[in-house]
Amino acid sequence: MSFTEPKAGRVAPWIQTNWDLRAAGNFIGGGSGTGLLIAAAFAVGAEYRPFAVVGLGFVAMGLLCVFLEIGRHLRAPRVLAHVGRSWMTREAIVAPFLFGVGLAAAWYQTPLLAWLTALLAALYLFCQARILHAAKGIPAWREPRVIPLIVATGLAEGAGFLIALSAVFGVPLPVRWPELGLAVLLVARTVAWRRYRKRLQAPARALAALDAGRLAFDRIGNWVAAPLAVIASVLTPGPVATWLAAAAGVLAVVGGWHFKITLVTRAAYNQGFALPALPVRGKGPVGPAAKPGW
Amino acid sequence: MTRWAMTVDLRRCIGCQTCTAACKQTNATAPGTQWRQVLDMESGEYPDVRRTFVPVGCMHCADPPCVHVCPTTATRKRDDGLVTMDYDVCIGCGYCAVACPYQARHINHRRTYAYGGGPNETEAARFDPKRMSVANKCTFCVERIDAGLAKGLKPGVDPEATPACVNSCITQTYAFGDREDPNSNVSQLLAENHWFRMHEELGTDPGIYYIVDEK
Amino acid sequence: MTGPARKIPQYCYQCVAGPDLLTVTVVDGVATEVEPNFAAAEVHPGGGKCCVKAFGIVQKTYNPNRCLRPMKRTNPKKGRDQDPGFVPISWDEALDLVAGKLNEIRAKGLTDEIGYPRVAASFGGGGTPTYYMGTFPAFLGAWGAVDFSFGSGQGVKCYHSEHLYGELWHRAFTVCPDTPTAKYVLSFGANTEASGGVVGSWRHAAARVRGLKRVQIEPHLSITGAASAEWIPVKPKTDPAFLFGMIHVLLHENPRDALDVFFLKHHTGSPYLIGPNGFFLRDPVTRKPLLWDTRRNAAVPFDTPGTEPALEGRFTLDAYEIGADGHEWRHTGIAVTTAFAQLVDHMAQYTPDWAEKVCDIAPGTIRRIAGEYLAHAQVGATIDIEGETLPLRPVAIALGKTVTNGWGGYEACYARTLLACLIGGLEVPGGTLGTTVRLNRPATSRQASVSRGPDGFMNYPMNPTGKDTWQRHPKVRNAHATLVPLSANSPWSQALGPTHLAWMFRKQSPDHWPEVTAPELWFVYRTNPAISFWDTREIANRVAEFPFTVAFAYTIDETNWMADVLLPEATDIESTQLIRIGGTKFIEAFWDHDGFALRQPAVAPRGEARDMTDIATELAARTGLLEKYNGAINRGAAGAPLAGTGWDFSLDPAVKHGVDTIWDHVCRAASAEVTDGKATDGLDWYREHGYRTRPIPRLSWYLFPELRKQGIRFEMPFQERLFRIGKELGQRLHDVGISWWDTQLTEYQALPAVKDFPGIWEKDAAKHGTLADYPFWLVTSRSMQYAWGANVGIQLMDEVAGNLRGHGGVVMNTGTARKLGIEEGDLVEVRSYVHSTRGPAILKQGIRPDTLLMIGQFDQWAQPYAKDMHAPSMNALVPMSLDLTDATGSAADLVRVGISKVRAAA
Repeated sequence: MSFTEPKAGRVAPWIQTNWDLRAAGNFIGGGSGTGLLIAAAFAVGAEYRPFAVVGLGFVAMGLLCVFLEIGRHLRAPRVLAHVGRSWMTREAIVAPFLFGVGLAAAWYQTPLLAWLTALLAALYLFCQARILHAAKGIPAWREPRVIPLIVATGLAEGAGFLIALSAVFGVPLPVRWPELGLAVLLVARTVAWRRYRKRLQAPARALAALDAGRLAFDRIGNWVAAPLAVIASVLTPGPVATWLAAAAGVLAVVGGWHFKITLVTRAAYNQGFALPALPVRGKGPVGPAAKPGW
Repeated sequence: MTRWAMTVDLRRCIGCQTCTAACKQTNATAPGTQWRQVLDMESGEYPDVRRTFVPVGCMHCADPPCVHVCPTTATRKRDDGLVTMDYDVCIGCGYCAVACPYQARHINHRRTYAYGGGPNETEAARFDPKRMSVANKCTFCVERIDAGLAKGLKPGVDPEATPACVNSCITQTYAFGDREDPNSNVSQLLAENHWFRMHEELGTDPGIYYIVDEK
Repeated sequence: MTGPARKIPQYCYQCVAGPDLLTVTVVDGVATEVEPNFAAAEVHPGGGKCCVKAFGIVQKTYNPNRCLRPMKRTNPKKGRDQDPGFVPISWDEALDLVAGKLNEIRAKGLTDEIGYPRVAASFGGGGTPTYYMGTFPAFLGAWGAVDFSFGSGQGVKCYHSEHLYGELWHRAFTVCPDTPTAKYVLSFGANTEASGGVVGSWRHAAARVRGLKRVQIEPHLSITGAASAEWIPVKPKTDPAFLFGMIHVLLHENPRDALDVFFLKHHTGSPYLIGPNGFFLRDPVTRKPLLWDTRRNAAVPFDTPGTEPALEGRFTLDAYEIGADGHEWRHTGIAVTTAFAQLVDHMAQYTPDWAEKVCDIAPGTIRRIAGEYLAHAQVGATIDIEGETLPLRPVAIALGKTVTNGWGGYEACYARTLLACLIGGLEVPGGTLGTTVRLNRPATSRQASVSRGPDGFMNYPMNPTGKDTWQRHPKVRNAHATLVPLSANSPWSQALGPTHLAWMFRKQSPDHWPEVTAPELWFVYRTNPAISFWDTREIANRVAEFPFTVAFAYTIDETNWMADVLLPEATDIESTQLIRIGGTKFIEAFWDHDGFALRQPAVAPRGEARDMTDIATELAARTGLLEKYNGAINRGAAGAPLAGTGWDFSLDPAVKHGVDTIWDHVCRAASAEVTDGKATDGLDWYREHGYRTRPIPRLSWYLFPELRKQGIRFEMPFQERLFRIGKELGQRLHDVGISWWDTQLTEYQALPAVKDFPGIWEKDAAKHGTLADYPFWLVTSRSMQYAWGANVGIQLMDEVAGNLRGHGGVVMNTGTARKLGIEEGDLVEVRSYVHSTRGPAILKQGIRPDTLLMIGQFDQWAQPYAKDMHAPSMNALVPMSLDLTDATGSAADLVRVGISKVRAAA
């Protein structure tokens, strides 16, 4: 049909279309990547380089997604212009430092460089969380508790990634009970999710989308993954324990990714339009408030 | 200090879309992109039903979330209250679009035509490549305001210096003027009538005021 | 873009709510944008603005789907499934083709063997195409007999009953409230905010803010309902019951002196005495209707000076009664009552409780509304207008389409007019006003069209129904003068006849009726009956039967698909014409000035499009009619007579004048008219200024002063004249064996009765199935963005219309939809016994559970852009049927339908 279709009747909130899977890719790449860089610092005693490279690679993939999404690619450097207020600028400023220090850390594999990288990664992850929160037009993003949630899922994804990769690379981790660490982070994530969801005020369909995604993100990603991790931690070290831990790690990562995709796409309903009062039309009282879609 | 603001008298608006069309024409927006749009909002349950027509667009907020998030400073807030766009600086990241709780910002990534195929004569004459793949939105017809002021004209009073939507309205729904001037048309209307601003609770301090009843 | 922008003044008359004024900005020869003509704010009652459709004029000009070259048909077969095979030809060849046909016709004689004109012409939209067709009316005038019967909806889908009865009762081709002064308006489906244009919308917005209370009474919550203080969801076609219920309350539940007794006694036919045969009692000598003078305690002729007439009562007297065909009764010592007393008796049965059941509205509503109406009427109040003291009655009643046409139209218009009279609010400040005349003459002044008739009411140019005067053999195919006395004999009369009969009788003529021959040549301009009328599939079939159709084409459409020649017109801002502006006119265009406005080429015509004036001149020259053509222009066919007292700008009849010359002369005449001869500026002046006006008296808005001055009464409440005419018409028809108009004859009642109007449509549906198959009412509504002017093919209009819920689909009640398992956006099929249409379901709370709505007129299958919208339309579903046709020859946009889900939304 014609142009009448997309806009007709759009007073109730609708899913924003400015940021698509590519934006979700940025939060996935950036979140998992930085989380992995942070978790990898704990492994710097033994194997660090592969984790660091994968971590940086994910961050880079995320930034590539963003680059593909913007309208004027050649103007990309202009993104650095608004450090005073814009978290996107701040993320972009941290990025070269993160890569510089991170590559050095991957090469030299010293604890100092690894922990510096982890610090920069944490800063980057924090910027990502703040980017979402500052998007005032999307109720599911602007809820302040999205910040600890994004940070928590980044950390959990990082830990899960580390454990899964260590199984894949066949690299044992020098940290004691990394699975327990993962389990703790998953508990933190589920707590952050609950607190976020409890206070969240968003259009009915956004809430429905989040609640529908809860199975994958929370029930499986946290409530199945955490016990798996705990079990793995108490089992005798061996293939079973390793792959159980890896499974927990994968569930933690995929759960986090699922959440971010849901958050950035299916739950990304905008504010819509609302009237706290309806006009008098000649005579009669002002009408009651109308807030379609909420 | 001036703050340009707009009043919208919801008692008057009939949803005719004259302002929607006038804005599109004056600002040569792409098919499907409407800087000024009039919504048709139904509420209530049969037979106790209301139907309200609501002009919306960029609110030119005093605390604009889009300005805060913009990484390039392509969008800024002027001293006179207008939230402006510098198309040459914008990278089209869309951050402002998700920051705006009024759904007022648009990005056109591809060139489109009213009738498909290619541009008609007007589209060819008015096409501005600067506006492709960058954010765009209602500017309160800033070129008209600035050119008008330079000639000594009064925005909101002299049509030449006034936004196209305000000029076109067939029910006198709009007024445009300086909110900081207590004697301006907008200030007087706001003093005499009950009004609200949309999504006031979000703290954006928007510059469009909706009138619902006389005091 | 380089070069300075020029702003070229124009007028817009795409719809009947105009004309409005605007400018088109042109940069380097390209039109870029439209703006209001701000300078006109001083005289234009809508602030100099133009509506959304005017902003589409630029895109209309550059529509890539325009026909820009003359075309000739190569496929001899015609039909929806027959590609016409149009090939481009030169203008010379095209004009020779058309002129050749015309000359052939002329040689045979202008009328055919039945007596119908061989040449027919159809134009659209309430006279709007006239102001885009240049001097083409002059060509048609020069030609001679032309049949305008093949309508595209005019005469039947318009405010038809209001046109005819309105002009009869108060010179009201249409009716509107005196909005700037009114305090309370009841609107039965009048959709002013969609159809009232700039001035209607401007006035009502100001009135709302001032505190005018408008109650919208209609089956769905239209744009106008949305902008009203209250919405009453009445069942379709029950408005007469509502109105009669109100009359009952005023007459039976309020003291008599709550009404405007003085107005009734002295300014209406209320005191006239009624004889036992249902006609006025008359003076034996003068034949004048009698009233009972309480001063003289005797019956005297109505215009006897110094009477105090009895409004009610029973009186005994000797008198004459004159019935149909001059039949007379002489009575001695009979006891009679007044017209008003009979009215009171008659209305006793129409209680508000009865009416509320008929209307399916909440109990108590009608009593409350009647009370509000009476309370706001301010009976007894006066106001001074330009030195004349007039009654001030700030209440009015407006009626909309489907109320003012078809069965029930008479009753609704009658009741509305009567309700105005009961409180003295007809044609006075604040009250119910007529806008203009098109059946009475002159069209330029309602007041000048008023003259006193023998019974003390206004004269009216009825088509005669006498034995020797009735038009036994119709002169045009819709037989308006034969069947509809009220349709008069003005240039608009043909279009106000039963224009669907011409199409219907082409397929099958009824008993004792001449064959309706096809016209040998049919001009079509700015109209698309194959989309805009009823039973549109059949219309297309009828059009396909016409042997030679000449279509002035904007784009290909469903009617010119069957044409033989397409002639591309230079459209709105590519050509020149002058139009009268101001005065008082439909829909709510009440100005304090009148004058003229110009439209002019803002840009060169695209392709080979030509100004209609040029085309008309060429045709006149090629058919040997140049002198007559120029003569018609001189006499005023271009909008203003070229000679007046003290000036003469007549064209040389023998010369083929160019567009600019012709319009320069017309402009000079217009200037002279507006300035009483002081100024005679021509085309160049109008090109620069755009318009020229002079002030007019505010008193011209009201007809009551003129009636009062001439001692004329409003012909209310007793329709003795219509009663007589109905009897005579019935006799004439029966004399020639025609009984198929008998039901229509029942409308000619002196005191109309409310019938089961919805039942007429229900019975019609039940004849073709069972009523259970068609459980819903289907109605339609106007939309400002699309209505008129070929705007369905304009992308900008389509885009902005998309912001309003309802376009492009089937609007239904949310609760009803859920019961049927229909969700928002599901594709549904709506069918009547005639045909079906499909569209997405649009769920709303603001519509009756038993009603469906389709906005506008769509279902295009040929018109580019529009045909890809796949928007549903009721027009193919509505039958053309004598059963549904009322006495004035109209029917209504109403049909019983069933609905089913085709598939879920994507």
